[in-house]
Amino acid sequence: MLHVAKATFIRNTRVMIRAYPWSFVIGHIFSGVYTVLFAFFAYHYVFAGQLDENFAHLTGSSDYLSYAILGGAFYAFAVSTLMNVSRSLITELREGTLEAVLLTPSLRRGYFLGNVAQQLMRTLFEFSVIVLVGALFGLTLSHTNVWSAVLVWILSTGAFFCQALVLGSLMLWFRDTYITQNTLFAVMAFVSGVTFPIPYLPEWLQPLGLIMPLAPALDAFRQCVIQGAPLHAVSPQLFHMAALSLIYLVIGVWGIRRMEKRVMESIFG
Amino acid sequence: MKQLGSLLLAEIIKEHRHSFHSKMVYFSLLVWPVINFVTAYYSFAPFRMGADSPLARFISYEQLPLFLLTGYLGYIFYWCLVQSSWQMSFERQAGTMEMIFISPVNRLAFLYGRSLSSLIEGVWLFFCFVLLALFFVDGIQLSGWWAPPLAFLILLVSAIVWGGFLCVLFLFSRDSSFLYTVLDEPMLIFSGVRLPPMAFPVWAKVISFCFPLTYALQLIRELLMEGASLQTMLPSMGLLAAVLLVLVTATVVLLKQAEKHMKKTGNMVMY
Repeated sequence: MLHVAKATFIRNTRVMIRAYPWSFVIGHIFSGVYTVLFAFFAYHYVFAGQLDENFAHLTGSSDYLSYAILGGAFYAFAVSTLMNVSRSLITELREGTLEAVLLTPSLRRGYFLGNVAQQLMRTLFEFSVIVLVGALFGLTLSHTNVWSAVLVWILSTGAFFCQALVLGSLMLWFRDTYITQNTLFAVMAFVSGVTFPIPYLPEWLQPLGLIMPLAPALDAFRQCVIQGAPLHAVSPQLFHMAALSLIYLVIGVWGIRRMEKRVMESIFG
Repeated sequence: MKQLGSLLLAEIIKEHRHSFHSKMVYFSLLVWPVINFVTAYYSFAPFRMGADSPLARFISYEQLPLFLLTGYLGYIFYWCLVQSSWQMSFERQAGTMEMIFISPVNRLAFLYGRSLSSLIEGVWLFFCFVLLALFFVDGIQLSGWWAPPLAFLILLVSAIVWGGFLCVLFLFSRDSSFLYTVLDEPMLIFSGVRLPPMAFPVWAKVISFCFPLTYALQLIRELLMEGASLQTMLPSMGLLAAVLLVLVTATVVLLKQAEKHMKKTGNMVMY
């Protein structure tokens, strides 16, 4: 399995460097940086630093800039992980290599592990750049509980990976990446508490946030960074994330297998 | 002239068929702007609102939904008309770019045809916007019955010119979709889509003046929210016209440069 993972990692890195060196990396970094800029402008220049009374009560801190900047950075990280993993099979289909991938006796687990490892390198770079820019615009990192934050980040990668398997199956089902992924990303940005706390939403919309791994992941990460919370303090969010990961994993593995079969029958005959 | 028209029409039909291969596309066109708009609206929730909010220095609290709605209308309109330009790289991948440039097609007709291909979406969006604004949002103050058609015309012309300009930029490289991110997303922040540019620091104001959408939105808000007369809007209109003229000139010059470059290097399809 590790051989397959290593080979996939090396191949994907080469493809990224040779064929598409800038598009996605720069795109994700800029998206995160724009969220940082929006938060900074709105807070300082438009609202003169005046927050709603409920904000501190809902988030446990009155540090809006750290709240919004971490939201932007973590959202970019989630989108990047979801996109890179879920698009892998449909990209193979488009580039004409899917048949070869499916015909080889390689383990699919190794293939996806290689994909995740490769994209982990990219997302770590993207995330670091956004956080660094955020630090210039008012993100406070002095209270961070580093180990808890790192662990939440790694666990979140796992959760997004599981969600990406379901997204990947849907993409193969619809034979589309653009509409499927962007609809999901738009909904995620709305219901997961990226730029505002979820309780501000109407009550009937709030349950939508519960099915997105981004919501508990972001909540836990913010607590670890802004308030320096230890890992056990965010265990409800971690359990929530683990439960969602398990559900997505089961559906995703089943979906990918089904879609592979369908693609083999409908395309390759 | 007749030939130019038919070329333009052919490109519009081609691009429309290419982009609207399924009904899902119409779904996304309707759903994405709505989700983005409500997300933008709720992004203001953590701030202090009401009559004594610092926001009132720029927009009254009651007009915030209309401010965002006009902002998003302008942005989506631009986005609709310019998204076909970043898909220029698909022409390379499909190998059709070479065929287009070998044929005696007028290059400008090809560029602006691509840009215009989203006209139907633009009309549809504008129609939905007017209905929404009329029934659900307070604070509308029209300059006259002619204000909505004029706003539509301003958006249409400026977006086509901007789309044509982006198309040319995408002629230079296969991996240029990041340019889309560099040029498209800053519009959301700097052009006054979500925040009033008057609130920005000087450096941000300088950036915002580089986007034609800033001028277009200024005009549209004057037309639909402030009930300004034509005479008071003349300076803003002149400014927008000047910016568009600069963009058209840049498009023509860059187009010649791009074709010359591609002919010289012979790599129309690869890079």
